[in-house]
Amino acid sequence: MKSSPNKGVLLQYWLSGALGGWGGTSDGKHKASTNAGGSVHGNSRPGAAGGGGGKVGLSGGLTQPAGWQSLLSFSILFLACLAGFSSRLFAVIRFESIIHEFDPWFNYRSTHHLTTNGFYEFLNWFDERAWYPLGRIVGGTVYPGLMVTAGLIHYVLNLLHITVHIRDVCVFLAPVFSGLTAISTFLLTRELWNQGAGLLAACFIAIVPGYISRSVAGSFDNEGIAIFALQFTYYLWVKSVKTGSVFWTIGCCLSYFYMVSAWGGYVFIINLIPLHVFVLLLMQRYSRRVYIAYSTFYIVGLVLSMQIPFVGFQPIRTSEHMAAAGVFALLQAYAFLQYLKDRLTRQEFQTLFFLGVSLAAGMVFLTVIYLTYTGLYVRLLTCYAKIHIPIIASVSEHQPTTWVSFFFDLHILVCTFPAGLWFCIKNINDERVFVALYAISAVYFAGVMVRLMLTLTPVVCMLSAVAFSSVFEHYMGDDTKREKPPEKAEEGLGPNIKSIVTMLMLMLLMMFAVHCTWVTSNAYSSPSVVLASYNHDGTRNILDDFREAYYWLRQNTDEHARVMSWWDYGYQIAGMANRTTLVDNNTWNNSHIALVGKAMSSNESAAYQIMRSLDVDYVLIIFGGVIGYSGDDINKFLWMVRIAEGEHPKDIRESDYFTPQGEFRVDKAGSPTLLNCLMYKMSYYRFGEMQVRRGALTPPGFDRTRNAEIGNKDIKFKHLEEAFTSEHWLVRIYKVKKLDNREPLDHKLRSVVPKQKYTSKKVPLMLGGEFALQVWRDSFRFS
Amino acid sequence: NESPLLATCLLLVAALNLEVSANGLVNEEVKRTVDLSTHLAKITAEIVLSNQGHSAVQSFILAVEEDLTPHLAYIGASVKGDEEEDGTLELQQTTIPGQSGHFYKVQLPSSLAAGAQLKAKVEMTFSHVLRPFPTHVTQAERQLVVFQGNHYLYSPYPTRSQTTRVRLASKTVESYTKLGNPSKNDEIIEYGPFRDVAPFSEDTMKIHYENNTPFLTISSITRTIEVSHWGNIAVEETIDLRHTGAVLKGPFSRYDYQRQSDSGISSVKSFKTILPASAQDVYYRDEIGNISTSHLQVLDDSVEVEVRPRFPLFGGWKTHYIIGYNLPSYEYLYTLGDQYALKMRLVDHVYDDQVIDFLTVKIILPEGARNIHVDTPYKIDRMPNQLHYTYLDTFGRPVLVATKNNLVEHHIQDVVVHYNFNKILMLQEPLLVVGAFYILFFTVIIYVRLDFAITKDPAAEVRMKVASITEQVLTLVNKRLGLYRHMDEVVNRYKQSRDTGALNSGRKTLEADHRALTNEISSLQARLKAEGSDLADKVSDVQKLDGQVKELVCRSCQEAERLVAGKVKKEAYIESEKTLTGKRQELVSRIDSLLDAL
Repeated sequence: MKSSPNKGVLLQYWLSGALGGWGGTSDGKHKASTNAGGSVHGNSRPGAAGGGGGKVGLSGGLTQPAGWQSLLSFSILFLACLAGFSSRLFAVIRFESIIHEFDPWFNYRSTHHLTTNGFYEFLNWFDERAWYPLGRIVGGTVYPGLMVTAGLIHYVLNLLHITVHIRDVCVFLAPVFSGLTAISTFLLTRELWNQGAGLLAACFIAIVPGYISRSVAGSFDNEGIAIFALQFTYYLWVKSVKTGSVFWTIGCCLSYFYMVSAWGGYVFIINLIPLHVFVLLLMQRYSRRVYIAYSTFYIVGLVLSMQIPFVGFQPIRTSEHMAAAGVFALLQAYAFLQYLKDRLTRQEFQTLFFLGVSLAAGMVFLTVIYLTYTGLYVRLLTCYAKIHIPIIASVSEHQPTTWVSFFFDLHILVCTFPAGLWFCIKNINDERVFVALYAISAVYFAGVMVRLMLTLTPVVCMLSAVAFSSVFEHYMGDDTKREKPPEKAEEGLGPNIKSIVTMLMLMLLMMFAVHCTWVTSNAYSSPSVVLASYNHDGTRNILDDFREAYYWLRQNTDEHARVMSWWDYGYQIAGMANRTTLVDNNTWNNSHIALVGKAMSSNESAAYQIMRSLDVDYVLIIFGGVIGYSGDDINKFLWMVRIAEGEHPKDIRESDYFTPQGEFRVDKAGSPTLLNCLMYKMSYYRFGEMQVRRGALTPPGFDRTRNAEIGNKDIKFKHLEEAFTSEHWLVRIYKVKKLDNREPLDHKLRSVVPKQKYTSKKVPLMLGGEFALQVWRDSFRFS
Repeated sequence: NESPLLATCLLLVAALNLEVSANGLVNEEVKRTVDLSTHLAKITAEIVLSNQGHSAVQSFILAVEEDLTPHLAYIGASVKGDEEEDGTLELQQTTIPGQSGHFYKVQLPSSLAAGAQLKAKVEMTFSHVLRPFPTHVTQAERQLVVFQGNHYLYSPYPTRSQTTRVRLASKTVESYTKLGNPSKNDEIIEYGPFRDVAPFSEDTMKIHYENNTPFLTISSITRTIEVSHWGNIAVEETIDLRHTGAVLKGPFSRYDYQRQSDSGISSVKSFKTILPASAQDVYYRDEIGNISTSHLQVLDDSVEVEVRPRFPLFGGWKTHYIIGYNLPSYEYLYTLGDQYALKMRLVDHVYDDQVIDFLTVKIILPEGARNIHVDTPYKIDRMPNQLHYTYLDTFGRPVLVATKNNLVEHHIQDVVVHYNFNKILMLQEPLLVVGAFYILFFTVIIYVRLDFAITKDPAAEVRMKVASITEQVLTLVNKRLGLYRHMDEVVNRYKQSRDTGALNSGRKTLEADHRALTNEISSLQARLKAEGSDLADKVSDVQKLDGQVKELVCRSCQEAERLVAGKVKKEAYIESEKTLTGKRQELVSRIDSLLDAL
């Protein structure tokens, strides 16, 4: 199964990191362009083609140099990477090199910590600035792959005296990795189909919006590097199944390790690969190659994945990983049976088989009982969390995917990818089983959650590339050459049909490219930290309120000030304002969030109690009523109420915040509970006096986001004071006052002449007090 | 309480003024102006100095009151000559035993003869002498400040006549000391004239007035100048800014700030920074990114940046930002051979009437600069040199570091850095890049050309051997086919020229070459067979076919001979030639297809 026929090929292999093995599959693209329709057939056995590849490559070397082909594919791949990189730079060009959104701010902050304090300090980092007063063990609760990658790049660059700021490394990491993703997708598709399809797939993945949405410059998030790791792991897996070589499998394990360190989505790999093996067993495609590949992968991959502190012992404890273990056991049993089959007589074998099966069934039964007992089984049902925990449901990216977003993110690919799948299934082999399973499972997951669209995108690109490639082979081929045309002539493809179909396909691809650029530019390239509005004459206004307020916090509050805000803004406050937050986007502690939600939805004095107990110094809210920004806190308010109600059903009831008609209104008809809760008061403090400029007809205090005149214009605070409001009122910060001095007593102080005998009793009195305290403590301990 | 103070002063003068009276200098007439209209106190005094002693005087002494000395940012003196322009004089700090305060000895350009007079102008600038009082104000309130100074010129010499004029920022004055019944007119208070003031007289002047000018202070600035000999000088200033006026008390209301023009009147919304005219690529940012609220205006003689901090600066608030730009080096870098001189401002304009509490200047010279020598316009604390590494550096660029406290606009002056630089070093960086690429390509070449496999794959080796042999076979066969084509030409020529000798010699060479090639091919075929390749059979097929072709060629040759000899008719010859060519073509195409299959 040696793939390279001569050494010259290795040059291209090394140079492109991708284009190697001309010999192995050189009949792919080469034939595709010269020999109509021949390649689908010829490629159904790529393994066998490998041996003969040398000859083809050689004669090609004289008539049509292989060098041209590799140069062509190298440049196509390079251009795909370049296109992928540059189309992700819209935000940088329009705005600046800045970290986007919410989570990336945390990643950036921890990367910064990593680069300034070193790796071990990062692993042991206890962040006392988050989740006040609990803190957060960052080193043990993150997937460190992203930070380590960025930190490593930064370290290497600085070692070479290329003084790039870590922020720029972080901003451009995702685009760079999308280039690598294109390469690994090329490799994977080439293994599955042929070189031509590989190049198409690389081009698709480079610009497809479904992937760009997570990897624009500045979106410094796990997904940016995880998709590369995912594709590369799959490539190496397919390679190891094909070759049965331990070398490739170890490579696959290392890549899997990287994936585990980068993203929680590694669970997808550790379930899909066993599924692949399982289906291969069912299809009677068991071979020694599969056995070697999977046994090595499972053991080494398991050990490696457990090295990540956040993952720890999960791979042997949780149900997500049980499938892998089960398939491992099954594969061993299967291989053992195969072995026995050669050694034993039929009769002996049958008895042994029954014994083994019943034993295995018993084992499985016990395991299931155990899992159910420990409650872990429940987690298998993905829907559980969504229904029962409002905090997960409140995140927009956890919503089910709509049909529109399928088309929006994948465009024409979503239509062509079933065709590619059909082609694969029609010419099935070991690795095409894999891609079929990949496609099916990814479609299911993408339907469950918008966010998982990301795992679907690569496989859609690959299969669409297969479809397009096959069509082009069929219709674009030049059949005047070579010896085969006579037998293919019966297909009767006139030049007209050929050119029409080709044009049509090219049109589709062109539309796809246009759509991708448009979506990238309009939907996915906003930093969301900086807002832009356009005037009638096309000039741009930048609304930089977020950074204005965060920077004010950073500069003009005490270094240890604690800022309460809704959890969405936790990471940004920590990253940009560098202040202690109570809750943030790592929503690990629901009750803490509920407490903040309760403070926001209670009236001022009740909220003050909570804020006092949490040592809050400042409260930060987002208010879009002045400029009509719809993602503000009042619009999110019901989620706060719901989450608070989940933990404090006695104090907060969602129904109190609705009008009797069941509406959520901020105007006069709104419920009094709403009009007097802290969030409402903070949002609309002094807003009642404000005349929002939008025609003279609107009354003062007209909320542009909700198109209503607010119901409570007379807002006074007792325990808070306005500390800062940004230029467009988007961010409002309130200071929580310390307790007032005691009111002077209205009667005269009683003047008591202390007598000697009372003072002598001081000591036993104190002892008594201490004793009482001790008793109280003990009772607390035992309760 | 004036008289006892005066009395003590006089006593002191009597006791200690021996030296001063020895040179007999007297301030004939003093016009003092105390400018308090900004957040600085700028005191200028025009002194008519007369020498009433017996000998010529080379220098005179300036004095600064003890209370004000920590705030003194700048002091300078100049002589108002009749014929020449104001000449700035050199100052040297001295002490006078028994007297408090700081003293500066001013060296006169020419000695002042006995009985002669001289007009001198003294300029002093004090920072942080205007204390906000009250120290905390709300957003609606105005800012009031107190200035505490001296009614008189503090001088070691007796003063004959003196006036003091105080310029304030606004008409609103809460209170002011009323020594000598001063007159107040709008923003100006005039004291004096005072007659015959003794040396070292001090009398507290206290003015409490409204001053809403921006009390901006640069608490620290780091100015980095990076010189590149490729034509660029990059300047970057990291600035910590603080509003040092009355601290904001209570809430900050954006509503009031937006609706009422006098709300937060002492706050700072924006200010102008003037950059050099050739400044390019100006950036204005901070830790969390670009500050989008700024405007750049390119004027003829400067570039003006309207710097607007992210938020308005109220009393006690601070901010931090970075501003940077590039300059072409030809305007600032002078060269003679391998000697270079960089002439740039040590500190530049940030805003009008700026106060810098702490300045750090870093000048990064190119890698390999030697014999560095710095000429500073005023005294500045040099720190040990550092090394800076940036793109393509190997042994680091020398960095000059210097610091200074308490600077004002008067300190915007040029510094000159002399150094030597070998021009050959300019080639270092391009060569480094070239070298890196060379190594990269070389490694690839090495990797591709050499076999690094630990195990040998015999099949692959055989395959490669076979491939090389087949390649040779292909070239040989093609060459052999070329021979026939050549022979055809010979035959054609023969048909025209009827030169039998040429034909025979052509035939001979064909025979010889053909034999040699055939032998070579058969030896290759034998080698193929030895490698166990099935291609050997194909090659033998080719050989067989080739034999037939050879025969055909020979026959066509004979036919031609016969035609020339007249043994056959032309028609018959053409006929036979056609069949021969047809046969030959068929054979050649069969050979080709065999070759393709190789």
